[in-house]
Amino acid sequence: METKIHRKSESLSINQSRTKRKQGKSWGEFLTPYLFIFPFLAFFLIFFLGPALYSFVLSFYRYRGYGEAQFAGIDNYVRALDYHVFWTTLENTLFYWVGHAVPMMALAFFLAVLVNSKLVVHKNFFKPLIFLPQIVASVASALVFQNFFGTHTGALNNMLGTDIPWLEDMDLARWAVVILLVWRGIGYWFIIFLAGLTSINEEVNEAATVDGASSFQKLFYITIPLMRSTFLFAFIVDGIVTLRLFAEPNVLGGRGGALAPVEMAPVLNLVVNNIRGARFGDAAAVGWILFVITVFITIVQYLILGRRRKEQ
Amino acid sequence: MAITMESNLKQPLLSYSTKRRIAQVTIYLILTLFCIISMYPMVIMVLNSFKSNQEIFINPAGLPNEWTLSSYEEIFSSHTGLWRNYLVSMIVAIVTTLGSVFLSALAAFSFAKFKFFGRNLIFAALLATMMVPMELNIPGRYLLFAELNLLNSIPALILPKLTPIIGLFLIRQYMLSIPDALIESARIDGANYWTIFWRIMVPVCAPILGAFAILQFMASWNDYLWPSIVILKQEIQPIMIVLPRLTDETGFQKVWGTIMAGNTLATIPIMLVFIRYQNQFMSSMTVGAVKE
Repeated sequence: METKIHRKSESLSINQSRTKRKQGKSWGEFLTPYLFIFPFLAFFLIFFLGPALYSFVLSFYRYRGYGEAQFAGIDNYVRALDYHVFWTTLENTLFYWVGHAVPMMALAFFLAVLVNSKLVVHKNFFKPLIFLPQIVASVASALVFQNFFGTHTGALNNMLGTDIPWLEDMDLARWAVVILLVWRGIGYWFIIFLAGLTSINEEVNEAATVDGASSFQKLFYITIPLMRSTFLFAFIVDGIVTLRLFAEPNVLGGRGGALAPVEMAPVLNLVVNNIRGARFGDAAAVGWILFVITVFITIVQYLILGRRRKEQ
Repeated sequence: MAITMESNLKQPLLSYSTKRRIAQVTIYLILTLFCIISMYPMVIMVLNSFKSNQEIFINPAGLPNEWTLSSYEEIFSSHTGLWRNYLVSMIVAIVTTLGSVFLSALAAFSFAKFKFFGRNLIFAALLATMMVPMELNIPGRYLLFAELNLLNSIPALILPKLTPIIGLFLIRQYMLSIPDALIESARIDGANYWTIFWRIMVPVCAPILGAFAILQFMASWNDYLWPSIVILKQEIQPIMIVLPRLTDETGFQKVWGTIMAGNTLATIPIMLVFIRYQNQFMSSMTVGAVKE
């Protein structure tokens, strides 16, 4: 407490000395802060914001990468929304999101509760082991899973003694993607939930223990309700990330460097396909539709979280 | 009355400490089981990398019947030239990491420690763009690199990845917590702002710079979408783009031994660093989600 007050008075004196210097500020003094942000801003404008705005303009044009660009109005958007492949890939993406987020979050939370338990002494042994799949690159892990799920030569069919076409049957292949996402993602959310659990006030739990609550009662009546907004936040953040899913389904379902078949493709494949086909306007339009969906999900999240906060 | 009730209740089948013991063993069993499941794919990855391409078809899950390094020899042989792709990945990841940490730290220093016209506006505008997904600008970016004649070049892999706003944000937050007195006293001693940045801020901010560096290195190492669009020349594709496309002469059958050796080489060095710095890794890789 004392140190805080001390610091405050320090920064006050600095502000005073700053205002004193203000009159005599040289050009060098004036320019210094701008010079420090200039390199970052320059790269940001040229390679991020510029291309983003350019993509926005492009989405209203028909442009094949050479020659004259033709103004197309909202044609690109209409064509994208009219194209049945768009809806298939969007449905796949939503399937991947809900399909993997629910079991992944549940398992991650379950593991976090277990590791957080007072009975577990070796927390620092289990934590990195559970987190480990997150360290493996998504492409590398997708390849291991492709090998594992192989129809004639995969480890799974080998153990079961079957010839199930895990990756050739599209319904099964989508579940294989889900399993990969769950396996790889648990560690991440496990660490997040563990941090959330350790931040819950000990006194609440102790009071409940004194009142005779069992561990399960404490879990269901105290911990889970307190973590509810964390769950929702996690689910939404994970959804925004999953909308941009690309590597996992394409490596798992692709053959010889080709993208995954439409039946299991994520939305981003449309952007890539359009660029490869030099339909830059269409690619840009799909990108912006994706952005609108992201914004929509984020707004819904804030509305729900805001209402929750009011209720509490 | 109360006493008799107590004595009636206190006849449990198992004593409290035995129950505790059972619960503990159960939890440890479940956790161990989960650890085995999370390790299993990595174990078969490493085991398969020591089998020949042929043996994997017959024996995809067990220990190698015949341990061989032939898959690793493939990686370093001249006809696959895969070591070159490793080199590309390495160079891109290192340059991207150093470059973005440097640029972000410079800008963060200015946003945290200077007062200047437009500061809050620029910073707020930058934060707002965090909503825009990187993937959205790919068509525009592709045409920009075509215009610059940089398609199929290593700079195309580095330049767009140098300015993630999350890094700027994290480093600025950290710098805000550093007392201004440190800077003021260096000023009085006659240090210029560059010296203050390089000699004081960078060393003091080492923890957050390191955390952001881990984040950036992993992101660059794992990147798949943009490199697969912009680099079509196989010699300079990052290793993650090449590995899924490795097939035998027929072009249909994947050479699983070589692929697993490639995966192992791409994973094990990072894993060793992770084991050494596990806490830093876990906190820096999850830092993006704990903003709230």
